Amino acid sequence: METPTRDRKIRILLADDHTVVRRGLRLLLEGQPEFSVVAEAADGKQAVDAGEASKPDVVVLDIAMPNLNGIEATQRILSVAPNTSIVILSMHADEGYVLRALKAGAKGYLLKDSAEGDLIEAIKSVTRGKTFFSPEITKMLAEDYVREIRARGIEDSYELLTPREREILQLLAEGKSNKDIATLLNLSLYTVETHRRNLQDKLNLHSFAELILYAVRKGVIS
Amino acid sequence: MSSSVFSLATQSATLKTGILQDIHSTSGGRGHERLLLGSRVALAVGFGSLLIIMALAGLDALRVLQNFRTSEAAIRRQFLFRNHVLNDIRSQIYLSGTYVRDYLLEPESERADAYRASLQQVRRQMDAALESYAGQLNPEEGLHYKALKTELGQYWDILDPIFKWNAAERRKSGYDFLRDEVFPRRQNMLALADRAAALNEQQLNAANDQVVGLLAEFETRVGVTLVVALALGLGMAAFSMRRILRLEDQAHAQYLEVAEARGQLKDLSTRLVQAQETERRALSRELHDEVGQSLSAVLIELRNLSSGLGARADEQTRSQVEVIKGLVESTVRVVRNMALLLRPSMLDDLGLVPALRWQAREVSKRTSMDVSVAAETHSDDYPDAYKTCIYRVVQEALNNCSRHSQANTVRVRVQEEPGRLTLSVQDDGKGFDFKENRGMGLLGIQERVASLGGACQVHSVPGGGTLLNVELPFRKGETNGNTNTRQEDPYPVG
Repeated sequence: METPTRDRKIRILLADDHTVVRRGLRLLLEGQPEFSVVAEAADGKQAVDAGEASKPDVVVLDIAMPNLNGIEATQRILSVAPNTSIVILSMHADEGYVLRALKAGAKGYLLKDSAEGDLIEAIKSVTRGKTFFSPEITKMLAEDYVREIRARGIEDSYELLTPREREILQLLAEGKSNKDIATLLNLSLYTVETHRRNLQDKLNLHSFAELILYAVRKGVIS
Repeated sequence: MSSSVFSLATQSATLKTGILQDIHSTSGGRGHERLLLGSRVALAVGFGSLLIIMALAGLDALRVLQNFRTSEAAIRRQFLFRNHVLNDIRSQIYLSGTYVRDYLLEPESERADAYRASLQQVRRQMDAALESYAGQLNPEEGLHYKALKTELGQYWDILDPIFKWNAAERRKSGYDFLRDEVFPRRQNMLALADRAAALNEQQLNAANDQVVGLLAEFETRVGVTLVVALALGLGMAAFSMRRILRLEDQAHAQYLEVAEARGQLKDLSTRLVQAQETERRALSRELHDEVGQSLSAVLIELRNLSSGLGARADEQTRSQVEVIKGLVESTVRVVRNMALLLRPSMLDDLGLVPALRWQAREVSKRTSMDVSVAAETHSDDYPDAYKTCIYRVVQEALNNCSRHSQANTVRVRVQEEPGRLTLSVQDDGKGFDFKENRGMGLLGIQERVASLGGACQVHSVPGGGTLLNVELPFRKGETNGNTNTRQEDPYPVG
């Protein structure tokens, strides 16, 4: 992932169908000296076009937009601008939406009514390759997890993981690649891949998106 | 949105018209009762008189036949009796002739006396026979009888003197007497007896003719009765047939009316459900997208305001901005919850199963029940009517569970099978007696399911939990996607 240099500003595309929201967010982001809003879009289609044209570092996408919703727009933008990080803005604190956004390839998921407090941090996180969720989301997902465990009286599969597997789970959830992890932990790539396969089997996770969501629910990352 | 409000008003107008139609059809029912009563009276009278005619005809026939039999027997008896008497008389005439001859020609007086006694006896017998014959006579026969009786009287009168004859006299004129007096007389009497016999026979024939006439008359009467009964029967048949056909027509018309009314009601209730759903969705979207977004914008502007104020603002202004922010935040939450309550956007954005999982989590949070969802579906993108139906049915079922069942866990299961979608909601609550307790919730579920041509069943035993099964007919072509994925809970915690 391309990291912006000190002298280069983070280039941002802002997509929201509400002019007032867009105006407010733009004001908010331009208050930060290292940010630069390079384009705006009023619907999903415009966002894809603008993403392809300006190849921004970060796209801030409203999930509910006419023509093309934020999730589908995420997939299309990533197919034309794979180095872009996507932050979803949503009214919904529901894991169904979070999972959908993660599966589409979004790195950040923010609740719209707390966006003004977290957006800056979220953009900074995703440009560093990390995932970011609104604290409310993280809290809610973790609470649901605990409640389900208690209500169903079942064993927490996290307990089945070895310390090494837990370490790898955390690094994966933070956005590190297998190769990064191998270097970090001084392991062979093959070993990392085996650990990853084992932990996914133990947790019954079928995709990277599910792995991230699990990590959030479990409180491994926030 | 205003257009859907208008369509709701139109629907209530149709509802009113439907009620008016119902009122009209009850007044038609009274006419139907009158018709029924008239038919009953007519049928009773018609069939009653038909039966009476048949019974009378039968009794008459029996009576005639009996008469016929008795008169025939009487005629035969009479004939035989007379025949017998005449034969007696005839043989006695012969016998008397023989005795007379023997008497006249017998030289010995002792034996002649014996012959005379025999002759006297024959005479007495003949008189007795004549007497008995006299009792059975009709006027026509009386003439012959009288002639016969006179002839016999004369015969015996002629014979009277010879009994006083002595042997010499008998020898002298006996033969002549026989030849000149006895034999001709005897011939006469025999001829008279023969005539009587012929007459007797004639009478028998006449009586036979009478019986035949009686039979012919009887035949005519039976024929007339038959014709009358047939005519009446035909009339009755025609009448009752017409009545029955009319009743049948009426029943059919009423059936059609009822079927149409039922169809209209069903249609109406489906349309009402649809209208309600459309309304809710529009309201939900409006709240969510317009009001919610505007409030989000307000929050952002507030944030910009407070950072714009910087250090210049005093503490009071800053805290006022914070208060406003708090107010707006709680308003956003209220608006969002209202919108989700009206219609969860997940249903439209994410599809059926994610919406059901969301609902399960919400109910689990709100109540003491743990609700889990298992799905074996090939797509999340079912037609809206199916998504909405299943979602609302689950909502209603969970509502019932949380209110009445005291359940700890509820398992929701959605399954796509060839040609159908099945849903089951099973709780481990206290259950209920289905016969006694059929709440509005279950009725609503049935209504929704029926509007898609599906069926639902509730199995519940007090103390044994409740199982709701819903089956919706569903054709593959109605799905858009066909990705065939088995959707287990994506994050099974076990």
